[in-house]
Amino acid sequence: MAGTIDSGAPVPAGLPGRAEFRQLGYGVALVALVACLPLLPFANSYLIGIVVRALIFIALGQAWNVIAGIGGQLSLGHGVFFGLGAYGTGLLFNDFGITPWVGAWLAAALAGAVAVVIGAITFRLRGIYFALATVVISLAFEKLARFYFALTGGDTGLAVNFRGTAPAVMQWREPEAFLWISLAVVLAFYAVTRWLLRGNFGLALQAVRDDEEAATSAGVNVYRTKLLALLLSAAMTALAGTLHLQFYLSIDPGTAFGLSQAIQIQLPALIGGLGTAGGPIIGGAIMILLSEGTNVASSRLGLDGVDVLAYGIVLLLIVLKAPVGILGYIKSKRLQRSGRAAPAGGGD
Amino acid sequence: MARNPAVLEVTSVHRKFGGLQALSDVSFAVEQQEVVGLIGPNGAGKSTLFEVISGNIPPSSGAIAFHGDDVTRMAAFRRRRSGLCRTFQKIRLFGALTVAQNVAVAAQQCVVDGNWRDEVASALAKLRLTAQADRYPSEITLPDRKKVEIARAIVGRCRVLMLDECLSGLTRDEADEVVQEILGLNRQGLTIIVVEHVMPVVMAMAQRLVVLQHGCVIADGPPKEVAANPVVIEAYLGARHRPAP
Repeated sequence: MAGTIDSGAPVPAGLPGRAEFRQLGYGVALVALVACLPLLPFANSYLIGIVVRALIFIALGQAWNVIAGIGGQLSLGHGVFFGLGAYGTGLLFNDFGITPWVGAWLAAALAGAVAVVIGAITFRLRGIYFALATVVISLAFEKLARFYFALTGGDTGLAVNFRGTAPAVMQWREPEAFLWISLAVVLAFYAVTRWLLRGNFGLALQAVRDDEEAATSAGVNVYRTKLLALLLSAAMTALAGTLHLQFYLSIDPGTAFGLSQAIQIQLPALIGGLGTAGGPIIGGAIMILLSEGTNVASSRLGLDGVDVLAYGIVLLLIVLKAPVGILGYIKSKRLQRSGRAAPAGGGD
Repeated sequence: MARNPAVLEVTSVHRKFGGLQALSDVSFAVEQQEVVGLIGPNGAGKSTLFEVISGNIPPSSGAIAFHGDDVTRMAAFRRRRSGLCRTFQKIRLFGALTVAQNVAVAAQQCVVDGNWRDEVASALAKLRLTAQADRYPSEITLPDRKKVEIARAIVGRCRVLMLDECLSGLTRDEADEVVQEILGLNRQGLTIIVVEHVMPVVMAMAQRLVVLQHGCVIADGPPKEVAANPVVIEAYLGARHRPAP
């Protein structure tokens, strides 16, 4: 990405302009393909379901990318916000009849409030306190969800009262509507990420990520910037949690608050390109493709369990070959070809 | 001759780290458009004093006034926004942002009146960095990186610029180039405090020298006077700088 400031300087060759226009073209074509998937002759509920899973996965990665990739604050417990989104929406619907269209925003506000409390305590401290706090709080929420059986359904989890196809309460028997909703969410999150990478707040956030003391010396209120980014990231994660709940119609403590979920949330951005707008999309899509591909292949070959191993090996190879993520790798190669040094990170 | 009003006043500042007294009863004032050199041997407390003045480290006791306002308890980012600006001993640019974006981060926070984009363009032009605007820090030379730090520090409402060893690592020609830029900023009205080890340069640049040793001010005056001070010669400058009998 070239500078966003109109400095009057010549635009370096091979960066924005035509290349960016071409990227936009690819993006529009991809969105159109996904949106029209149900109309294609080979599409079925299984295939559409996979794409919905991928989109929800991507949305979670995009949400985590805001605080970790752009803000540089490593959250190891984003499952908290995912769980609050899913449980919050489900409980509001089951117990109070509040439609998930509204419940999603209330749950996102709750997740944002919890994020502010976590951030307010830990962001004043330097070091790994925030990362540790997110893990501990995540584990605490998992225990609470298991313990308060009457409210959360305990170990069994929470099942949404299903009313069949009822758009007013975000329920459908077929997955097509979820495809379009999830796609809209991914596009909205992409727009948020682009805004963060190019807007005033995003520049300050990236400065904080690169060097907190230098950001302070540039007049940035580091504490407030991190807090706002966490709030935004948590609210986005909770919205993705709502989507997950409405699609699967159930949630349990392990899926919501467990550490494996927290790690899964991190992978799309880490694989695709941390701190980039397109990274979580590419990373999430590759991971779902890999997961499904290895699963189908191992079933056909009668090698149950090999899929997980193959999935892990391929992910490991990607990380080894492209430690800055796939987009970061492509960007550094492109800059090398044009005789330029790769920046420290981030970008579109 | 009437003295200019002090823009920065450091009064009886002490700073202790555990058992180490890093700063002890440090007092001095800086006048409008002055260039003050802060010198002293390694470990004298110069960088600590910079950190205390810029607000990154609170003093154990004492007071700091900026344009007459007590800023001792003011957060560092607010001091920057009010015009107390600094660079770092080791260059600390935002690696993922372009040169223009590095400057823009500060402009967005600190430009009160006017368009921050214009201010960025102006700061880049002042430091002759316009051609580098869309490059990343990893793509530009060391002197240019130093100048980007200065541009980031002066953009917006800069009233006092504190430069921490901004010439280290530069060749003589490169250092001369940066010094000229700094003096140009001073001629435009900027007050400058400079920590520097390259004595001939600091002697030529500064109108006044404040000498620190073991966290205490041991001399404060015009460069020639300070250079002739036997205490300073003994503590820091060495016999090479002893005036001929």
